[in-house]
Amino acid sequence: MIMLALFAPVNFINDLLSRFFAPETINNVVWPVIQIGVVVTVVATWVAYGTYLERKISAFMQARLGPMRVGPWGLLQPIADGLKLLTKEDFIPEKADRWIFFFAPYIAVVAAFVVFSVIPFGPDWAVITDVNIGLLFVIAVSSVGVLALILAGWASNSKYSLLGGLRSSAQMVSYEVGMGLALIGGIMFARTLSLSGIVAAQAFDSIWFIVYQPAGFLIFLVSGIAENNRAPFDLPEAESELVAGFHTEYSGFRWSLFFMAEYAAMVVVSAVATTVYLGGWYFPFVYKLEVSGWHNAYVIVSFLVFIIKLSLILYLYFWLRWTLPRFRYDQLMDIGWKWLIPSALINIVFTAFSVFLVQALDGWHGLRTIESMTQGLNLTATGKVIMIGLGLVGLLLTGGLLSLINWRSRDFHLKSQRRNIRLVSVPSGTSAVASTRPAAAATES
Amino acid sequence: MSLVKVQKPDFIQKLKRFFLFDLLKGLGLTLKYNIGAATDKDSVAGKGIYTEQYPKVRPDVAPRFHGAPRLNMDPETHDTLCIACNLCALACPEDCIDVLAMDVEVVVAGKPRRKKVLDEFIFDTSRCMFCALCQEACPTSCLELTQDFELATYSRAGFVWNREMLEQGRETVKYTS
Repeated sequence: MIMLALFAPVNFINDLLSRFFAPETINNVVWPVIQIGVVVTVVATWVAYGTYLERKISAFMQARLGPMRVGPWGLLQPIADGLKLLTKEDFIPEKADRWIFFFAPYIAVVAAFVVFSVIPFGPDWAVITDVNIGLLFVIAVSSVGVLALILAGWASNSKYSLLGGLRSSAQMVSYEVGMGLALIGGIMFARTLSLSGIVAAQAFDSIWFIVYQPAGFLIFLVSGIAENNRAPFDLPEAESELVAGFHTEYSGFRWSLFFMAEYAAMVVVSAVATTVYLGGWYFPFVYKLEVSGWHNAYVIVSFLVFIIKLSLILYLYFWLRWTLPRFRYDQLMDIGWKWLIPSALINIVFTAFSVFLVQALDGWHGLRTIESMTQGLNLTATGKVIMIGLGLVGLLLTGGLLSLINWRSRDFHLKSQRRNIRLVSVPSGTSAVASTRPAAAATES
Repeated sequence: MSLVKVQKPDFIQKLKRFFLFDLLKGLGLTLKYNIGAATDKDSVAGKGIYTEQYPKVRPDVAPRFHGAPRLNMDPETHDTLCIACNLCALACPEDCIDVLAMDVEVVVAGKPRRKKVLDEFIFDTSRCMFCALCQEACPTSCLELTQDFELATYSRAGFVWNREMLEQGRETVKYTS
């Protein structure tokens, strides 16, 4: 198909379609349907192979090989898994609320998949639709996923499911705030909510917003991982405490729908992070293909750039999952409300200040910082250096300020409690042996 | 019981906490293992993978390992070495061996004699604890516990090995890939 798109005349498919449909139908119905079909297929395949990748990567991180038996290097494992899940019994507990139990997985999947309609996978025909409030749409629709989790937890009529649903609702609601606030910093540079517009602003300025907004990127990433209920924030499905959380009672196909929703939501968060902070499909020098007339090749290369950036963030997901242990519940709420939301607020204020400063510096002692304001905030080289410096200052400032504020109140005073541990048969006033450093005070006594 | 003050973190430790030093160190460790395993060319002998690829690669068992029983035969005549002396059955603490002998007429130096030969040998591997006392008791080194360890079957009856299974070995599927 890629070869066809590269070498076929640009209008070949359009000509073919115009024999069967009216031009308005082609533009408004046929092409969107083709695009939707491709995106849904690609995402569903990714979900299947995401599980494979996760198993492989986790195996590699634990010096194992992972699935190796089904097909070469276990590449057919997702198909075997899918067949197993499809043929399993679809069990509904007797006391469950049947209809809600029935529909909760569909809500989860739909909420995760609808978001793909506004994500720009590439420049021209690789966008299904470009809504001018795209970012708002993404945040609004992806938060509907919480509803599915709550409904599933409630309808199962099981204590583990209910506790899992409660936890997930508390977690997702609190992390959505930080997530939305973190994105505002990026929007200030792009001056638009349209996702294509944000990418275009970065391409026009030939920079990725991550260098302007390191703090915003970190906040968004942590909030996104927590929003997806992924480790180390996977409290709603903490195996050691809640069996499987909200999907304890689910089995077979319905369970796999929740699984699909989780992986699709991961792709959504990664795609938004890529679009807003990593420049989306923009990569330096790729536009030369467009200049030399290879339009379709340009779109495909840009799409591949987008996929590579997306994969890097998805790898980060797996990497963090198999490195960090799960947080305690109070620590989770602590990070959300005491660290991420305040730092996102500080980031908004500081970014607004930086944008104001850069604009104020324009023309001061012959300094030129602003190139143009037509497509986002377009800075000159001097302006970029100033903005990158301000971004790093903002990161350190945010972290430092919050460390100072939270130093005493962290972990609900558990830290200060822990400093006074009672130990058996250790004389009072001496250091505890638990210290990692050689205890000089202990040897003196 | 006395109250002990745990040392407060000094400046270096506070800096490490602020820049998430330990978190990054942990991420580096997992990345190191990931790259090591992903670039491991020979997964059997390589450094990146530490697991044994069992059905593909037969594990090395210890020399003193006792596994599936076997009745040895004379390598030239292919007659059984067993003389049906019943010593193994007597030595067995689990009483899992049954030796069934029969008398046959033989002519020794022109005179008819009756000789005791092995008819059937029953070995219940589900009761066996692989102590190899039977192997030590055997005067002709006929009964031997080999290093084969794949003894699982689909039924209880499958655990009871008869003379043919003991002599020829049981058929098992050997996975090579």
